[in-house]
Amino acid sequence: MAMGPSKSRSRSQSELREPNLIPIMNLFIVIIPMLMTIMVTVHLAMIEITLPTEGAGGGGDDTQEQLEDLPKVITLALLPDRFEIMVEGIEDMITIPQLSAGTYDYFTLDKNIARLKNSNEKQGTIDILPDPSVKFDTLLRSIDICKSNNFPNIKYLTSATKFYKAK
Amino acid sequence: MNTLSVKVNRASGGKFQHRKRGNKTKDLNITSLIDILTILLVFMIKNISMDSTQKNSPEGMLLPTTITTNELIESGRAVYLKIYPDKILYGTESINVGSMEDFLSKTEIRNSLLKLLQMESKAIISSRSKPCLLIQADKEVPCKYITEFIKFSAQASFANIYFSTIHTEDKDQILGL
Repeated sequence: MAMGPSKSRSRSQSELREPNLIPIMNLFIVIIPMLMTIMVTVHLAMIEITLPTEGAGGGGDDTQEQLEDLPKVITLALLPDRFEIMVEGIEDMITIPQLSAGTYDYFTLDKNIARLKNSNEKQGTIDILPDPSVKFDTLLRSIDICKSNNFPNIKYLTSATKFYKAK
Repeated sequence: MNTLSVKVNRASGGKFQHRKRGNKTKDLNITSLIDILTILLVFMIKNISMDSTQKNSPEGMLLPTTITTNELIESGRAVYLKIYPDKILYGTESINVGSMEDFLSKTEIRNSLLKLLQMESKAIISSRSKPCLLIQADKEVPCKYITEFIKFSAQASFANIYFSTIHTEDKDQILGL
């Protein structure tokens, strides 16, 4: 006499089989910490500066017209208590004093640099002369303001001390 | 599935006492956990960056923030110089050169660093690349040290000098507003 399928067998076939998630879980547990360690949370940037070249002065053969075409040299001095902007051929210096002790007025600096760019569109270089005591943060902010106002070339000037022997 | 547990009841002279466990052992439902992990995985894969320059943020250093950024020149190879308020680290291996005051005052430290820079620059030039110096300095470091390093690197044929900063899109942060 043939026997029918057992009740338990017929029940197991009718039930939906759950997928085995343990290998996936193992994979996730390895991948997620690995990705967390290599994930970039801080985006670093680079600011390029150029060094002054020797013999950058004008030659003797230049005619007056050629000299007039040359863009004016703009120099930004970072001093312990103020910013000073000097434009070649203009005697009046732009002075931007600190708002309070240790707080530079970057907003006014930004406005002045933007104004100088409008009046000297051909000029793409600003010479920066930092005081030795000025912080690196002030230097970088000033460079950033110049670059954001379409002065892509920043020439880092280094002040040299010269000693002369008295006769 | 019902299970039977066997427990020795010592109070009743060590006879076995059979107790029927009424509750079923429930499987842990990890489907929702898998869902969360999948979302996390997709988010992280999207945000991951393979740019090596973005991963070298020096530990324990407060970098300045800027809105502009420049790219390294074509075929340029960067040499790292990390300037902390109390120490100077050179290269990707972070060789401790000494403090900033030592750098300014001790001739042997300056000479050894100059030799290192010159050797590195020669090696980069011989591999037909351009030597670049990437200065990573703390925002509190005075400019006199930065100026010294720039003068120094120019002696070692590093014509391209870069400052490392943290990139932001917020100009008001730069202007201090």
